[in-house]
Amino acid sequence: MQIEFELVTYDEELDKFELDETIYQMELSEDDAETYHLLKDSDLHLYNWLKESGFFTKYIKEEVYPESENKKIAISDINGISFRRFYFFKVTSGDSHYEYFKKLFDIHEESDWQDREDVGEEILQCLSTKRKELILELS
Amino acid sequence: MDHKYIEKMLSKMDEDLSKNGMSRRDAMKLAGVTGAGMFMGGTTDAFAAEEKVVKSNAKGKIVIVGGGLAGMSTAARLTLNLTNPDITVIEPQELSVSYQPGQTLVGGGLWDEDDIAYKRDDFIPDGVKIIKEKAILFNPQENKLTTEKGTVVSYDYLILATGLHLDFERIKGLEDAGRAMSAGDNERLLKALGDDGICSIYTAKGATKTWEQMQKYIAQAKSGKKTKFLFTHPSTPVKCGGAPKKIMYLTNARLKEAGARENAELTFYPNGGAMFGVPEYHDAILGQFKREDFKWHYRHNLIEVDKENKIAVFDAKWQEKGPWDPVMKDFEVIPKHEKVRVPYDFLHITPPQLAPREIAESDLGSAKGWVPVNKETLQHIRYENVFSLGDVAQVPMGKTGGSARKQYKVVVDNLIALMNNKKLEAKYAGYTVCPLITDIGTVMLAEFDWTVKPTPSFPLDPTVERWMWWLMKIYALKPMTIYGMLSGRA
Repeated sequence: MQIEFELVTYDEELDKFELDETIYQMELSEDDAETYHLLKDSDLHLYNWLKESGFFTKYIKEEVYPESENKKIAISDINGISFRRFYFFKVTSGDSHYEYFKKLFDIHEESDWQDREDVGEEILQCLSTKRKELILELS
Repeated sequence: MDHKYIEKMLSKMDEDLSKNGMSRRDAMKLAGVTGAGMFMGGTTDAFAAEEKVVKSNAKGKIVIVGGGLAGMSTAARLTLNLTNPDITVIEPQELSVSYQPGQTLVGGGLWDEDDIAYKRDDFIPDGVKIIKEKAILFNPQENKLTTEKGTVVSYDYLILATGLHLDFERIKGLEDAGRAMSAGDNERLLKALGDDGICSIYTAKGATKTWEQMQKYIAQAKSGKKTKFLFTHPSTPVKCGGAPKKIMYLTNARLKEAGARENAELTFYPNGGAMFGVPEYHDAILGQFKREDFKWHYRHNLIEVDKENKIAVFDAKWQEKGPWDPVMKDFEVIPKHEKVRVPYDFLHITPPQLAPREIAESDLGSAKGWVPVNKETLQHIRYENVFSLGDVAQVPMGKTGGSARKQYKVVVDNLIALMNNKKLEAKYAGYTVCPLITDIGTVMLAEFDWTVKPTPSFPLDPTVERWMWWLMKIYALKPMTIYGMLSGRA
């Protein structure tokens, strides 16, 4: 089985992510394909599995960024499952992203008083920690 | 509990019931609740009975900052649960334990200020030391704090239950009001609000003033003059989120009673985009608003009062569809603002609310000012020997007496567990209760938790307004709070 994925690069100085804009393809072994199918409905589990998998980092280091020691990257899409909201969320982002993060970060919006901007800032605060978990450093 | 008080209360309730041709037993049957527990705390989770206590020998100096309902109940329960408690409460305010949920009833002319005034010194549990000063400096690294008089107090364990501040001074035109707390003379605030239709039930004195102003403008409406009544809800968390609407309902009831309703326009201006955070209660309230011919404008935050011209200025907010974001593959949402000027005759202000400055600016406060705690264990996220509860704790939807009633037991259990080097197992699940007064004689008992779903303690539709809950609000909740909770038992 083959998976398609996209990447973002992280600029530590600017604390900014940038889309790589290339669609990469990689062949999975039978065992890995089985794991993929088990995890594909749970986006962050899928992400973490791929990030922690030796075959994936090996592929990135050898095929994608062969001469980029200490480069920091993250995965933006895996077979159409998007992780872009983790890197590019803004207070002006659409409602679906708000709903996703409110659930993920257990943010209780008290809608009888709370402003959208206020919730957005809280999401950004939570994301500053979460992003660190998602970044993959190529050694 | 004080049995004399309870007898008096029950006899008052019986009198009220008999006027409606009912006995107490009939009333309970009507509510679908058996036994006397409904009113006195026996059969349901909401009115838990006294529990058997196994005292702990754990030792340590416990300091509680704040001797209001949350702090004093915690002190009382700790004395019941520890063999040799060493507890100090720091509280400068003489009427700190006054019954705040009654302020709405004072504002509606149903109770007097005396009905809700309770003295701190009458509720200090045996053996608990009291420092009648204000804590102003916190040094959690060294487990010390300092009061305004320079008294340095050290502790092994600290509980923060200071309550919150009413930030009237944030509203342009009311800068002279300063920040207020619910109890106290609040002279500065009352002077700034004046006598020309501006009021707020969020202080005890202000509640009395609200009733005076309400009568004045009801008389104006009765005289035939079209009269505008405005009610606000700010852009911050507030204690008792139902109160801004309760006072509106009571104003409406009083207008109807006076035969002046047709000359009055009642409008609610909440900062948020819904009547209530729980959809079921939102729908019910919206139905009540339509039935009572109220008007409302969502996403309006009071930012200024032009007292001379009697104009309330709101920051009105809305959203517009923004440009396509090719990276996120979605349209952006652009927030828009404009100032809206609204003339008023009577303006009830629910002020912005925030943590006391001395907490917010200390290492114990969060970026938002509130005390950052694990929302379940109520333990401080950075200092493990610090707990917080009540209005000052950074807990979602937790700023009501009903929440404090659940929280203080969690804090006591977890503090004793910590003192015994055990795992903190007690958890607060976000329970909140708002007996929403919808008329003189009816209440919708809105109970909910972090599931944002109704969590009724009684086997009845919680969105229905009932006379039974009115009786409970008027007669039962105060003694349950004052004599049950403040004794550390209920």
